[in-house]
Amino acid sequence: MTEAARAPIGRDRRPFMRRFAIAAEPYLYSAPALILIAAVMLVPLVIGISYAFRNVILLDPFSGGFVGLEHFREMAKDKAFWLALRNTVSWTGWSVLLQFVFGLILALLLDQPFKGRGLAQALCFLPWAVPSFLSGLNWAWMFNPVIGPIPHWLYGLGILPAPDNILADPKLAMWGPIVANVWWGIPFFAITLLAALQAIPRDLYEAAAIDGATPFQRFRSITLPFLAPTIAITVMLRTVWIANFADLIVVMTNGGPADRTQIIASYIFTQAFRRLDFGYASAIAMVLLALLLVYSLLIVLLRQTLLKEA
Amino acid sequence: MASIDIAAIRKAYGSTHVLHGVDLTIKDGEFVVLVGPSGCGKSTLLRMIAGLEDISSGEIRIGGRRVNDLDPKDRDIAMVFQSYALYPHMTVAENMSYSLRLRKTAKDKISTAIAGAGAKLGLGALMERRPKALSGGQRQRVAMGRAIVRAPKAFLFDEPLSNLDARLREQMRGEIKKLHQDLGATSIYVTHDQIEAMTLADRIVAMNAGIVQQVGSPLDLYDRPANLFVAGFMGSPAMNMFAGTYRNSGGAPRVELAEGVAVPVGEGIAAADGAKVTLGIRPEHVVVTRGGGPGIQAFIDLVEPTGFGTILHASAFGSDVKAFSLERGLATRGDTVSVAFPVDRIHLFDHEHGARIG
Repeated sequence: MTEAARAPIGRDRRPFMRRFAIAAEPYLYSAPALILIAAVMLVPLVIGISYAFRNVILLDPFSGGFVGLEHFREMAKDKAFWLALRNTVSWTGWSVLLQFVFGLILALLLDQPFKGRGLAQALCFLPWAVPSFLSGLNWAWMFNPVIGPIPHWLYGLGILPAPDNILADPKLAMWGPIVANVWWGIPFFAITLLAALQAIPRDLYEAAAIDGATPFQRFRSITLPFLAPTIAITVMLRTVWIANFADLIVVMTNGGPADRTQIIASYIFTQAFRRLDFGYASAIAMVLLALLLVYSLLIVLLRQTLLKEA
Repeated sequence: MASIDIAAIRKAYGSTHVLHGVDLTIKDGEFVVLVGPSGCGKSTLLRMIAGLEDISSGEIRIGGRRVNDLDPKDRDIAMVFQSYALYPHMTVAENMSYSLRLRKTAKDKISTAIAGAGAKLGLGALMERRPKALSGGQRQRVAMGRAIVRAPKAFLFDEPLSNLDARLREQMRGEIKKLHQDLGATSIYVTHDQIEAMTLADRIVAMNAGIVQQVGSPLDLYDRPANLFVAGFMGSPAMNMFAGTYRNSGGAPRVELAEGVAVPVGEGIAAADGAKVTLGIRPEHVVVTRGGGPGIQAFIDLVEPTGFGTILHASAFGSDVKAFSLERGLATRGDTVSVAFPVDRIHLFDHEHGARIG
């Protein structure tokens, strides 16, 4: 907003510099923070986005020219991209769903009073503290029939026809990183849902018990409505996080076998740092960004409606 | 509607005993108030009747049926909570109909029940609102509406008016009493407010430290408190209590409150000559006269006008004597007056155990 628009026309007789100083004051106060944010967030973002429309290949000294939408046209024909997109959906969907279900069950269990609850809570939240690379390595070893027990257990239970490494099986490989991710991510849901559970007034449950509600009916008509806003926001955060989260996949399968565990995030990593095609990688990243923005917007709208109702 | 029988009920949390054997029979349609200071076990007793707390020992019967091991939902009782405990995501109508919907009551019956309760409580225009859009008094009404739509065997009230301001509390007190007169439902009401207890109850159960101190009609408790606890708890301003010595030799029975200060008391008091006693008299029964009247000389320390009357604090025989008078200009600070304790208004308690002796 300019000073001319603000001041009543023809009345302000103060000198121009003084009026300018008054108008600029709030912007000067916020300038350091704004400049910092622009420098460390917006500038790299804009440069990254600009790569999507340029031909940036690290090993080609003549690259860098403007190519318009060429990368996006290429992407539409890229079978590996579409496979990675499908893989991203199943990787994200199953991971979030299972993390949420087990996290909710864990939170409900930890909300019950029992002896040693404090210790149990601390132990249950432990996986969250394990570095993702370490947990990926551990799970990769556990799925390895030479040193790990899991293939033998699955074979013993009759789930696998032979004690093979599922990470090497194109049909099953995705389940390896998903299992590791679920194990690693349950505590996030458990912590946030437990906090939300503990904020529900106890006498509501008592009133419902007297009104004649069974434990399941109490869960449905009290617990779920109270948790809904928290569920919406945590599911959104985790979905965005997991869709972008390639650590476990890179460590456990590196996208293989035959690209069956390649997700968009790991495909971007491969394009940028293996093939050194930064332009194409940026274009893929933009598509992922757009998809996640649309998804987040939907969840935020859903949460607003939930909050308005509650 | 049903009677409620409570027999030798005890409650202990680990080694902490909260209730030490409570016996109580509540008649069909009776309004019983459990009153006592916080921590006396009154709420615990109510929650045990509701089924929200386990019973350590003893037996509770509702309508003749033993309910010790029944879930709250199978006891057919309704409860109004101090916090109202309304379901925040449901409208007023949904809050009130929740229990009926759980019982799969027919839709038309539900709407008749809700409309009836809504009309009775003046909630008609608020049916589609959510609790957060209601005032404290309205929420309180919804909580009561939720209880009455079910037509349960008994109503349990757990300090339902504590969260309201004084004016609204008085109004709701009247409404609860009227509601009870309309419905005639067996009701148990827990409060720490002795005025609520006095005004609402058919019978008051005064409790302290997990033990029932006295059971009786409000005026019974007020006029003939069974012990020092009840005497001190009921009534505002509180009863005057003076330590003294009972004498019946060498003259009429009397209590010596101090050197040369003796108050005559009635005949037939169960105490020996020289026994330590506590003499109690309610402030409104203390007779204050100015200038050389009968009684004990006293000096006015403090005058508290309440509008309705005046509370006088006087010092006499080394104690503080409170008197309540409807007369306004009776005395001012620094006046010398005489205070008298009419014989038929005096309560005497055993000094050691606090039990009433006359």
